[in-house]
Amino acid sequence: MTSIKSVSSIIHPGKTYQYADNGEPMRGGMKDVYFAPDRSYVIAFYRDKQDFNSKERLTKIVTQYYDSFFNREGGEYYKEIYCWPTDVVQLGAQIGLVVPTYRKNFFFAKGYATNEGIKGKEKQGLWFASAKFRNKQFPLRLDDSELGNWLSYFQISVKIARGVKRLHAAGLAHSDLSYKNVLVDPVNRDATIIDIDGLVVPGLYPPDVIGTADFIAPEVLSTKHLPLRDPNRKHANRLTDLHALAVMIYMYLLYRHPLKGGKINSMDTEEDDLLSMGKKALFIEHPTDTSNRPKLNQLPKSALPWADVSKLPYTLTGPYLKALFDQAFITGLHHPEQRPNADMWEQALLKTTDLMQPCGNTLCDQEWFVFDNSSAPKCPFCGTPIKGPLPVLDLYYQFKGTVWKPENHRLMVYHNQYLFQWHANRNVVRNERLTAEQKVPVGYFTWFNNKWVFVNQKLDSMKDLTEDKQVPIGTMVDITDGKKLLLSNEEGGRVVMVTMANKHT
Amino acid sequence: MTGEPIEALKNGVQVMISSLRQNPQAIETAFISIITFDSSARQVVPLTDLASFQMVDIKASGTTSLGEALKLVSNCIDNEVAKTTQEQKGDWKPLVFIMTDGIPTDDWQSGLEEFKKRKTAYTVACAAGSGADSNLLKQITENVVSLDTADSQSIAKFFSWVSASIGVTSTKVEDAGQEVTGLSELPPPPSELNIVT
Repeated sequence: MTSIKSVSSIIHPGKTYQYADNGEPMRGGMKDVYFAPDRSYVIAFYRDKQDFNSKERLTKIVTQYYDSFFNREGGEYYKEIYCWPTDVVQLGAQIGLVVPTYRKNFFFAKGYATNEGIKGKEKQGLWFASAKFRNKQFPLRLDDSELGNWLSYFQISVKIARGVKRLHAAGLAHSDLSYKNVLVDPVNRDATIIDIDGLVVPGLYPPDVIGTADFIAPEVLSTKHLPLRDPNRKHANRLTDLHALAVMIYMYLLYRHPLKGGKINSMDTEEDDLLSMGKKALFIEHPTDTSNRPKLNQLPKSALPWADVSKLPYTLTGPYLKALFDQAFITGLHHPEQRPNADMWEQALLKTTDLMQPCGNTLCDQEWFVFDNSSAPKCPFCGTPIKGPLPVLDLYYQFKGTVWKPENHRLMVYHNQYLFQWHANRNVVRNERLTAEQKVPVGYFTWFNNKWVFVNQKLDSMKDLTEDKQVPIGTMVDITDGKKLLLSNEEGGRVVMVTMANKHT
Repeated sequence: MTGEPIEALKNGVQVMISSLRQNPQAIETAFISIITFDSSARQVVPLTDLASFQMVDIKASGTTSLGEALKLVSNCIDNEVAKTTQEQKGDWKPLVFIMTDGIPTDDWQSGLEEFKKRKTAYTVACAAGSGADSNLLKQITENVVSLDTADSQSIAKFFSWVSASIGVTSTKVEDAGQEVTGLSELPPPPSELNIVT
């Protein structure tokens, strides 16, 4: 029988919360979870007794850090990025957390393609990080309507990277980032970080967990045999979060684990696991050491096509992300301080979306791909070639006077693609602090009367440098090979140079 | 096992499979096999991945050939749980759950000897109802759970706990990296179960 119970806050005297106890709470790894009668929040009780350190840590998370994250300008954005606990309660010796209920879009509308087994269940990240659940032959695959397209996973990764960036900016570490602790919604291109209670708060003892298998950093695994407070034991911190973040982004874009390959490091299975993810961890796509390449004949068919790194190599994610994956899984794998930080991931992901092209094949599963710089570009997923000329815009900034330098930032044009302020001016940074005004496009590219044109909607000082004439708002300009366009004459305004790819098809 | 207990057990297995099929970690990693034992022991479902697992009718009436069952599970571990080779990564050590409502009627000690030679991640024995001897099961594994009555409710609870255990071992690595061997590292059993210590 369900009974409504009440429990008191240990922080706000007199404040109580109700929850519905039906004797069968949802069981997490460490906590038993009960819903509020109106389901607007949950109360998650730790099964183990929490010591003084832990109570102090949790109290800081729901007070001091809550305020500094959300009760200030820009805080609203982050309320969506995390599912952050709001209060600490106590019932007898048991400590519990008050946590807002997940938003509705984080529950499956359909779930499996062939039955209703997971309809209404949480969209835990792993559903979307594995090749199996998107393989058309797998009996328990997800319905196409749940999967989104490849671009969805760039936006999802951006949100996760931003969540991690903000934590690190505050000096905090999540300590247990994994596909279990993010909810992912490819349909609405949304993601939220959950299980915030494991946060490592500076100056306080970290929680006594080392994370979730698949995401634990090599240095943590290779020292986990040491006693918990041994000075040589490596604990979860900002740099181990950065390992987990890199693994997660790799998995959301390529649906395979970057370190789980064919190499055998020990004849004992459990020890082999430990070494392969720990001391002897090796990137499966390492360019020169190929000993950990996945062995396709040993893998279930449901792991394909993604397990085949020769067919779908990580370079498909484009030059900016390739460089970061190299840094995370080659140079930084065993040198934590060299791992790319969350801000670098955010920027590289965003810049990569500027290189993306929609696939011309309406049946393509991924729908989007990253332009590979080739003269005859085609979709790497379904093989459909791009038809017609393809403008490639390289962005330049004013170095001094008449000297303009490349930004290492390229924008691929497609039909009806928008241009934004963050393209036109280098002082506008594309991040979560953009204002609503800055998210309004300043113009768009379109294939019109058999040629590419740009329609200027909001750029008030745009100029065609090749033709030496102004491009007033409400007019259009031809996009042709070799053309130079000044997008803005304000400080930070950029010049783009057009190169036409795929000219002869 | 007949009547309510066997029906409850069948139902328990089915509920367990369907709950594991909602858990992506389990679908990625778990394989399941079922062995029944009465006057003899039979493997009614070979080691099968969760997605292709098909439920079969479970029958177990008459005597209690626990020894034969322990021998059979040892053979199945040898044959079906892949060992790591120079070429190929093997499977993780199996979890073994034994459920009985009676006293063994065969030479169970020799079966136990065989079983002890195999490595399992952990073994849990469940004494269902007053007819089973939990002290005897204690010799097989230190993890013994006893159900006071083998009714559908307590058997269902046992299986939901088994599902939770499978979920946990495939996900979290806790604390100082000792291997999971004792019940203290499993999720606590529901209050209606009694852990024999």
